[in-house]
Amino acid sequence: MGAGVAITGMGIISAIGDNVSENYKSLISGKIGIGKITQIDTVHKDEIMVGEIKDVNPSLEKRLKFHENQNSRTVLIGCIAAQEAVEQAGISDINDVRTGFISGTTVGGMDKSEQYFYDYFDRPDVRQHITGLHAGDSTKKIANHIGLKESFVTTISTACSSAANAIMLGARMIKSGQLDRVIVGGTDSLSKFTINGFKTLMILSDTYNTPFDDERKGLNLGEAAAYLVLESDAIVDKENKNVLGYLKGYGNANDAYHQTASSDHGDGAVLAMQKALEVAEMDPSEIDYVNAHGTATPNNDLSEGRALIRLFDGKVPEFSSTKAFTGHTLAAAGGVEAVYSILALQNDVIFPNLNYKTQMKEFDLSPVTEVKKKPLTTVLSNSFGFGGNCSTLIFSKAK
Amino acid sequence: MINDLFITGHCHIRDNTVFLNGAVVHEQKGTDFPTFAKSVYQKFGIDYSKFFKMDNLSKLAFLAADLLLKGNNSKEERNIALVLSNRTSSLDTDRRHQESITNKDSYFPSPAVFVYTLPNICMGEISIRHQLHSENAFFIFEKFNAEYLHTYAESLILDKKAEQVLCGWIDVDNEKYEAFLYVVGKSGTFTHSIAQITRLYQNK
Repeated sequence: MGAGVAITGMGIISAIGDNVSENYKSLISGKIGIGKITQIDTVHKDEIMVGEIKDVNPSLEKRLKFHENQNSRTVLIGCIAAQEAVEQAGISDINDVRTGFISGTTVGGMDKSEQYFYDYFDRPDVRQHITGLHAGDSTKKIANHIGLKESFVTTISTACSSAANAIMLGARMIKSGQLDRVIVGGTDSLSKFTINGFKTLMILSDTYNTPFDDERKGLNLGEAAAYLVLESDAIVDKENKNVLGYLKGYGNANDAYHQTASSDHGDGAVLAMQKALEVAEMDPSEIDYVNAHGTATPNNDLSEGRALIRLFDGKVPEFSSTKAFTGHTLAAAGGVEAVYSILALQNDVIFPNLNYKTQMKEFDLSPVTEVKKKPLTTVLSNSFGFGGNCSTLIFSKAK
Repeated sequence: MINDLFITGHCHIRDNTVFLNGAVVHEQKGTDFPTFAKSVYQKFGIDYSKFFKMDNLSKLAFLAADLLLKGNNSKEERNIALVLSNRTSSLDTDRRHQESITNKDSYFPSPAVFVYTLPNICMGEISIRHQLHSENAFFIFEKFNAEYLHTYAESLILDKKAEQVLCGWIDVDNEKYEAFLYVVGKSGTFTHSIAQITRLYQNK
């Protein structure tokens, strides 16, 4: 079995909680975060449901002691989650070893750009949001917030697999000795840009999303930020660090099918899972639980379900999608679900796939629908992005 | 070890002329790019209706890749990585998208155009056509960067991430366009070196 990379901290803010413990409580008490949109004034507000983070920007700014309206919401939630991860890892001086920051995002500062686009000419007081638009700006600001200096800082934008790819890149850099510590994950706030884009693709549900259900109507968009702290074995040993879990395997593959849709048979998904198992030096039978991508779109759940059947040769382990709780948080999803996978391992619990009623016609697969206590050693988590960018992460319990 | 890699084929498309391994294989002067691209499609008997939905950058990349890769169209899974680059990203299509949303009164953004407002979509089109589930990367440079492509391709093959690499330059900016793609593999006439890549690129 491969050595794996130690996870020593995690942080999250989502529609079901402001930190790791609140998220956990919601997951085991069935408290969902999906509702009508309140913070964005959109013409679609009556037709869609979303997973919004409760706090409005001024509250987030207050928590962070930031000046008002200088930052995109993507930055604000990213700072909160990254800060929690760093605190949990017990890092006193973040620059004491070679520390990197790799963040996934798709919208960057789009929330502010769309809000002020027609005001930039007349309002100098909002022009800070012009440079705040691009994805890398949010990463740089979060890196500054957690105190990084002259560090490796980069952004990954591969749609819905962004955070999973950020985690994968970080792990590879630890393994190859280029970094001693790295904070990895993703952040995406809700914006009209994504709401309208997904609306155009006609894959937004007008009600609560129902992953892997035969009558699923599409996804609910969500917003979240979630990060992990990965540290080298040398640091873990030297500082006698508390390890939360290990990242054992990772894989990324190209589905080579369509610009937006996944292939019917999940070719890319199968390849990504196979690669992750190879890196982890594991057999499919060693996976105890799959935290599925499970967006509740007709296309994803069919493709992912078929991929699971292929990979596990019909013997699919227990699986669930947590997107009925949080909505699909796009670039952050791989980070959110990495945190949930580790929580599952720490607490020996499988989180329920809510809103599931009817088995899909195409195959004989049913997700876990109740909170289920079960000893877990290994969890596999999938994140699939538009453009056929398929990623898989495999986590294992701390020894 | 490094000397074991070769350039197995190369293709230039520019000035309404197609060069395959240095020889002119098609020419149609005096037409705009979409018309010329269609003439290449017809000349080589390509049968792939999705071609007509593509933007100019994807059409250009698709044609050059098709001429280079069609020789080994076996059903077998081929591990050919893609490493492409250009100067203007997807600007040509970005402008088209921009035009469709500039006028508030006739606002007609099209998903069919929008989907091409990223340069790496052309690699997606090549991947879909040739069923490549392989590594791919698209870089933006000021000008053709033989050194970078050389290092990247070599590393992909030596690290066993790919058996062959389709590399090159694919740029479309208004009426100007240029494609120079080449395949790096374990056999061929030309050694895979920075000097050789530069020479083939300049021998237009």
